[in-house]
Amino acid sequence: MKRMKVVLLGLLLVAVPGLFAGSSLASSGLAGQEAPDFVLKSASGTNMRLSEYRGKVVMINFWATWCGPCRQEMPLLDDLYTRYERVGFSLLGVNIDDDSSRAMQMAEELGVSFPVLFDERKEVSKLYQVEAMPVTVLVDREGKVRHVHLGYKPGYEEKYLTEIRSLLRE
Amino acid sequence: MSVKRSFGLATFCVWLVFAHAAASAQQLGPAAAAGAGAVDGASAGSGEFRSLDEEVQSLKEEVLELNRDLFLLEEELLFPANSQVAFFISMDVGEYFALDSVNLKIDGKEVANYLYTERELGALLRGGVHRVHMGNLKVGEHELVAIFTGHGPNVREYRRGATMSFNKGIGAKYLELEITDRASKQQPEFAIKEWE
Repeated sequence: MKRMKVVLLGLLLVAVPGLFAGSSLASSGLAGQEAPDFVLKSASGTNMRLSEYRGKVVMINFWATWCGPCRQEMPLLDDLYTRYERVGFSLLGVNIDDDSSRAMQMAEELGVSFPVLFDERKEVSKLYQVEAMPVTVLVDREGKVRHVHLGYKPGYEEKYLTEIRSLLRE
Repeated sequence: MSVKRSFGLATFCVWLVFAHAAASAQQLGPAAAAGAGAVDGASAGSGEFRSLDEEVQSLKEEVLELNRDLFLLEEELLFPANSQVAFFISMDVGEYFALDSVNLKIDGKEVANYLYTERELGALLRGGVHRVHMGNLKVGEHELVAIFTGHGPNVREYRRGATMSFNKGIGAKYLELEITDRASKQQPEFAIKEWE
């Protein structure tokens, strides 16, 4: 009986971490998969399709005007975009506000230079399972999702920098 | 613990030990013979690599063929020829109209809403034809409403619709939505035509 208990305990110790690992992956379940393609209207009036950026490292940043951490993060993302755009890096800022005029106003206030796209119908944010703000997705040159970051805290930009540089070197 | 159970466990452990010993012996066997057959091994090895490479290549070809067959089967299953209907967009010179998006409604229900990028527009202007929607429809009369949004002459925002009733018979139906320049009116023209 004692031996049976030991065996059962051993099995539990192996299985339970596996279960937890599975559930924590669910929120960033896109990692390793092909980035779902989409096309959205940009602030400049042109339509932009993700698949046309194949061959470049792309960062997709989902943001909203009511999101405080987004305001903090966006200027830092703009720095990354300015620095690495000429070596094959692109950044698409996808705004999910119902009213795109407020998003344009905020983008102008913050002075960002990366393309801002409007997802008023929330179709793209559903595709990318966006449940919190902001969400930052890094896509490699082959079009695969490699990193997903949920939320923003000061210091995250260092992680982004390391990941972007690593993907650019591939 | 009962005697029977202890005996069973002991037998299992002995079997494990012998199995491991046998596996180790097998690994040692080839290693021991490696030195003696080194020269023959080199040429046999390269021959093995070649045949492996050929096998891999033929496997890749099979996978590609399977993929293609699957794609065709899927299309046949989802859009069988007797109920299939497809809509295509084509553009003429494009001097009087720069297309931004197309919205299609069949019998009042939206079936497609496609935004065109600059690259895609370039392809259309160079003679490309875009299949904007493929679906299934029952036999009978149906109404198509196509709304084109873009920029007209003098970079003015432009929104035009074209409506057409068509009869879906037995067999696939293909409709082309054509955008052409009408020089006499200096306006774009939108037409829907059926492919025979």
